Amino acid sequence: MAREAAARMPKEDLADVMSPVSAYGEGPPPPSRPEPVISNARLGLMMFIGAEVMFFAGLIGAFLVLRLSSEVWPPAGQPRLPVWITGFNTLVLLSSGVAMHRAWLAAAAREQVRLSGWLLVTGVLGTVFLTIQGYEWVRLIGFGLTMRSGLYGSTFYALIGLHGLHVLGALVWVGVVWMLARRGRFAAGHTVGVETCKMYWLFVVALWPVLYGLVYLY
Amino acid sequence: MSEAAASAHADHGAHEPAGFWSHYVFSTDHKMIGRQFLFLGLFMLIIGGILAMLIRWQLAWPETEVPGLGWVPEPHMYEGIIPPSTYNMLFTMHATIMIFFVVMPIMVGGFGNFLIPIMIGAKDMAFPLLNMLSFWVGAVAGVLMIASFFVVGGAASGGWTSYTPLTGAAVYTGVNWGINLWVLSLFVLAFSSLMGSINYITTLINMRAPGMTYFRLPLSIWSLFITAVLLLLALPVLTAALGMLFFDRVFATNFFLPAGGMPLLWQHLFWFFGHPEVYILVLPAMGVTSDILSVFSRKPIFGYRAMAYSMIALAFLSWIVWGHHMFVSGMNPLLGTAFMLTTMVIAVPSAIKTFNWLGTLWGGSIRFTVPLLFAIGFVSNFVIGGLSGVFMASTPVDIFIHDTYFIVAHFHYVVAGIIFAMFAAIYFWFPKMFGRMTNHTWGVVHFIGTYVFFNLTFFPMHFLGVGGHMRRIYNPMQYEYLEQFGDMNVFITISAFCLAIAQIPFVVNFIWSLFAGEKASENPWEANTLEWTAPSPPPHGNFATTPQVYRGPYEYSSPEVEEDWLPQTRPLGAAAATGH
Amino acid sequence: MMSWLPENVSTYGGQIDYLFYLIYYITAAALILVTVLMVAFLIIYRQREGRKAVYTHGNTALELTWTVIPAVILLMLSFMSISTWGEIKIYAPPAEYEVRVVGKQFNWDVFHPGPDGKLDTEDDIKIENEVHVPVDKVVHVQLQASDVIHSFFVPSFRVKQDAVPGRNILVWFEVTKPGKYELPCAELCGFGHSGMLGWVIVHTPEDFEKFLKENQEQG
Repeated sequence: MAREAAARMPKEDLADVMSPVSAYGEGPPPPSRPEPVISNARLGLMMFIGAEVMFFAGLIGAFLVLRLSSEVWPPAGQPRLPVWITGFNTLVLLSSGVAMHRAWLAAAAREQVRLSGWLLVTGVLGTVFLTIQGYEWVRLIGFGLTMRSGLYGSTFYALIGLHGLHVLGALVWVGVVWMLARRGRFAAGHTVGVETCKMYWLFVVALWPVLYGLVYLY
Repeated sequence: MSEAAASAHADHGAHEPAGFWSHYVFSTDHKMIGRQFLFLGLFMLIIGGILAMLIRWQLAWPETEVPGLGWVPEPHMYEGIIPPSTYNMLFTMHATIMIFFVVMPIMVGGFGNFLIPIMIGAKDMAFPLLNMLSFWVGAVAGVLMIASFFVVGGAASGGWTSYTPLTGAAVYTGVNWGINLWVLSLFVLAFSSLMGSINYITTLINMRAPGMTYFRLPLSIWSLFITAVLLLLALPVLTAALGMLFFDRVFATNFFLPAGGMPLLWQHLFWFFGHPEVYILVLPAMGVTSDILSVFSRKPIFGYRAMAYSMIALAFLSWIVWGHHMFVSGMNPLLGTAFMLTTMVIAVPSAIKTFNWLGTLWGGSIRFTVPLLFAIGFVSNFVIGGLSGVFMASTPVDIFIHDTYFIVAHFHYVVAGIIFAMFAAIYFWFPKMFGRMTNHTWGVVHFIGTYVFFNLTFFPMHFLGVGGHMRRIYNPMQYEYLEQFGDMNVFITISAFCLAIAQIPFVVNFIWSLFAGEKASENPWEANTLEWTAPSPPPHGNFATTPQVYRGPYEYSSPEVEEDWLPQTRPLGAAAATGH
Repeated sequence: MMSWLPENVSTYGGQIDYLFYLIYYITAAALILVTVLMVAFLIIYRQREGRKAVYTHGNTALELTWTVIPAVILLMLSFMSISTWGEIKIYAPPAEYEVRVVGKQFNWDVFHPGPDGKLDTEDDIKIENEVHVPVDKVVHVQLQASDVIHSFFVPSFRVKQDAVPGRNILVWFEVTKPGKYELPCAELCGFGHSGMLGWVIVHTPEDFEKFLKENQEQG
């Protein structure tokens, strides 16, 4: 074969040589692609949550380093964080996780009314959480704890604020899924939309006790 | 671009999007997005290169007028003379652009997008729309970065490492919005990379063609897979650090400022991201080099599994070596010892790769194509860059060479050396990307010029470093002990200018071949991997029917067939007889 | 390449230079080996009519060899580095003379102890950009920074240490040869980074007495 010459100067007629090898050539139809173990949407979201975990790991790592290198914590003259009311708020957010799980069970059982009901409960509990957080923030700012009041203030607002932003984003997502559920979007059993929303919601819920423990209790 | 082959296959049922905007601009086709990333990177390469030339001018002929730049307004330049503040902007932006907007878009964004689906036998990425967003978000980041040149105070000037407290408050550099935009741009870019990496990993796990097991993946795909994992997990850490830096700058918090905060915390966070980032840059280069060496040696890659495992080892180890950037930073010296040990260990997988590349060449039937030459160039430079890394891994030696030109020489041999793998990949896949061949002769001229002047530029920098020449200094003539290096700096600068001029053949070849190059056949290099079974350029959807994979990607010169290549899709023996 | 190394005048600089040379010879040998092999393979195994490439997927014994040999060499280098590193950065000998150097944009403020031999007393001698030390004495430098990070670099001593604001970092050296040595800042510290240059003036014992006396009179 004049293979080497062909490699140096590819010609149109090389296609003839290639055709039996090509996927376009004749031959048996290839078997279909195997069904993936984890669907694309779920896998993609797991990856996204992995990235989020690294993001918060960076923040928490920074917080711990700064916290451990400070002799007095919280610094003198700074207001104490509201442990009890936030503890209650933690329960609110955790119960929203339970509600989300119930919504997912309803979606799997194709019970549309219960699905949108539990989604609504999730959303309301999430909103309550954010409202209490916002109220506490206003009070803390009133007591003089701001981003600028040293490390105590800046780590508090950065960590808790960024978590709050994530809750807000997840809340919008729950809202969208809720509206879709009311329109019967998941009636046909195509529930990946509910499932991904549940995964993300459970992530922001599960993150909270960690932050609560580190920032409020530790 | 030739769409003739594409339209010939349109009747296979692949949906061909119509219209200029949906085809060339807001395309969701992975191949178009790959080309977009490639062009973005090449455009930014020109900007980054011009910045480098200005840096070199200043170092060779300090405080003299740069020819042709007398029009640049004060305070950026004074009648063509570069002031120190502008010099700091030049090297900061040169590094930032080259790392984040040239190597990452071309190697990860461009070839990642173009190659992953087609080399694993998929029609497209798992999330095509997310893929399009990834490019456009990346482009916005690029616009923000370029825009920072034009705000009051100029662009970022705190070095690409952006050490705090220098960058923590505008007062220390005199640059306010320049650094803010720098932070925002990288923040936005992180989203682009996040979308890209999620897409790559999902596609690679879920969408491989039947028979394409993990250990039948070409090494370029393995490298992109590992790169995507590193991107996914490393960039969020940078994002978190950038967020805190932004708070420090804009809301006057003090995470990284000495008043309450910790300046070294930034360095820890930055390098925790930064060292995986080095492997994000170099792994794809290693991957495409492995593929190209195997194709043109007409030989299976030597030690395929060792190559894959060594990349995995690099990826794991890259998380625990960050402290070697900080031996003299004031970090606890005991940590320095620990980081030296991990750093010495990470040199081993790199050595394995080098020897396996040599093993691949051994006994081959080497075809001296332009991609092969550039791949050899990459290996040759990587060897120098890898070996010079041993000097700085040794903590006592690093005391002396830290922050000198020895470091500059080292990372240019590694990171700027990636440009050789990049050119190898461009020349290799150009026929598949654009349906035309590039010119061989001009490619060889381009290679010789690039290789010679690259080494003449960067090798003498080792000497400067050994002489104690600091990096990031505006005028070496201010130091008595560096006066002896005046001539060498002139030599390096002239070499650097020649290196830039040596890129003209590439530009001409690229543009000429794009429109008038010889039409490429399906498989001009007689390669085994799946992309060469699709038309050149492949249509939307790549394959008419899902390919079936029977073997690994490197079955060259197999005794089972008469030809010296054996495509992954070709059935043999029992499989061919039974129709499977 | 190594001939560019500035003359070493500190007690531990020789150990650094020894490692530097050792790594230089090892890496140079490795570079020559790889380059020769690569060029040889490229010439010997170029494409020729009628010869097919060797069909092999690897060789485990060979691969193990070239994994183990670099690993052993690198570990050996690590262990050789550890003791030198410890001596320079961890186990400083007791001070025979102590100064404080504070980096600021874009100067070194140097505080010498006065006749009482102690810092932070009224007779401290503050000089900009000049560190006066006696020869053959263990000198401790309390390294500080008042604004951004600077780096205390004396090429002839093989000393480099970042000065971090808010920290007091100990640097020590013992110089064996009197003279005037450059002290550049090695960490980017702003637009005036280049040219942020001090001097370490190493005095003979007699000169050093004179220096102390002169400054005492001025003070």
